[in-house]
Amino acid sequence: MSEILDAATAIQLSPALVVKSLVKTFSRQGRAVQALDDFNLTVHEGEFVAIVGPSGCGKSTFLHMLGGFEPSNGGTIELDAKPITGPGPDRGMLFQDYALYPWRTVYGNIIWPLEVQHVPKAERAAIVERFMSLVGLTHFRDHYPAELSGGMKQRVALARVLAFDPKILLMDEPFGALDAQNRELMQEELSRIWDRTRKTVIFVTHDIDEAIYLADRVIVFTARPGRIKQDVKIELPRPRGPDIRKSPEYTQYRNLIWDLLREEVMRAREEYN
Amino acid sequence: MPVRLIGLIPPLALVIIWELCGQYHMLPRYLVPPSLIVSTTWRMLLSGELIGHIGASMFRIAMGFLIGSICGTAAGLISGSVRPVERFYEPLISLTYPVPKTAALPIIFAWFGLGDAAKIVAITLSIFYPCYIAAYYGAKSVAGIHIWSARNMGATRLQIFFRIVLPSALPQIFNGLRIAIGLSFIVMVTSELIAAQKGLGYLVGAAEDNMRFDIMWVAVVTIGIIGFCADRILLMIRSRVLMGQLLGKDQAHG
Repeated sequence: MSEILDAATAIQLSPALVVKSLVKTFSRQGRAVQALDDFNLTVHEGEFVAIVGPSGCGKSTFLHMLGGFEPSNGGTIELDAKPITGPGPDRGMLFQDYALYPWRTVYGNIIWPLEVQHVPKAERAAIVERFMSLVGLTHFRDHYPAELSGGMKQRVALARVLAFDPKILLMDEPFGALDAQNRELMQEELSRIWDRTRKTVIFVTHDIDEAIYLADRVIVFTARPGRIKQDVKIELPRPRGPDIRKSPEYTQYRNLIWDLLREEVMRAREEYN
Repeated sequence: MPVRLIGLIPPLALVIIWELCGQYHMLPRYLVPPSLIVSTTWRMLLSGELIGHIGASMFRIAMGFLIGSICGTAAGLISGSVRPVERFYEPLISLTYPVPKTAALPIIFAWFGLGDAAKIVAITLSIFYPCYIAAYYGAKSVAGIHIWSARNMGATRLQIFFRIVLPSALPQIFNGLRIAIGLSFIVMVTSELIAAQKGLGYLVGAAEDNMRFDIMWVAVVTIGIIGFCADRILLMIRSRVLMGQLLGKDQAHG
């Protein structure tokens, strides 16, 4: 057991994502708004990092910048020591509203990135089969997204993003559109899948429970301009079953993060009013 | 009686009343009863005369529709997805769009002669606009998140155009094609009425000149039937192609 833990910490020593003094401003109704100011973050390989913060704190903007969709106004983002300049398949993005193509079936959606990236034809089918079964959708291969529930759609999106094997997963409130029960089930499913794939994940959410349940680290953002208020290490054992939500440690984390967040939510509220 | 057959009641009732009025000599001369239309149609089919006119008209429509819809749709898609192209063409399109293409028929005939070419050009020009406009808004309506996710997977601009923008625009493209089909029949008849030796439009005009109202009605009914079939075929293709996109949205023509 201790050997496995040592191996895990050894892997985590190499930084995958390094963000240095990142600045982001945008103008809203002619006024300059500071979304991020001198933002720094290092994420190690194989780490699951959740970001929580009051709405409008710039956490989604930050994720879009990691995805290469939004330019920065200063600072650097490096993935494996290479600067990020635009979107690319080394960072797999999962969106809140799934971004599935309605004209393609489950199978067609998952295979698309492989077609785009010219993965040899012979390998494609096997890869798609593997990830369809990983998310438990093999029997729905010929269904169109319109025939699936929200949870199933997000599982297709997850399989699709895992299929092209990005170095890091960027998740933008992926379960935000689901109802409470489906949300918990999907969290358990993601936790199970993550245990098997051990990808580096940046997971933006406004759900504290979700963040604690899934992540190795929960980063609490301040109100605008977004900075790290606190970097909370979640030392709950893995694999995490649903019972872990009932443990006293879990409740402690929950209280700690909620207190941190409450201050920022109140501050944000004062500022906007 | 199944609900889907309810739509048959009005046309059937119309035909019955029409026929009865004919039997009791209550119709004006130019309105011949359906039974006479059917018998004349049968005679003209047997003699091969009708087929010749249908063939001439269908050739013009098919060519005009093919060229016009491909050019219009392609131009609209490109305009809708490439900003400089949009800027370049927008004024020209806006300026020429409201001009009734049938008003330009004399010019088209002067340029392209009185044969098939002029009619094909007239049809092409008329349906270019609805196809262009439908494809343009179709391309504009592509979900930003679909483009993002495609770029995230490493798709090139061409891949995004053909594999994301085009399928996203297809529902609107089909709306444009449907308008184009109706329009191409109208322009076909109009241009054949003005100058032609053959064709269903020509048949309408020639029969009218010779007071052969039965033949005129044969041509009118034939145009109606062919137009109806063309429309149905298009709808069938549409529901096949748009299978995933129409789910739970549009069952009207299912």
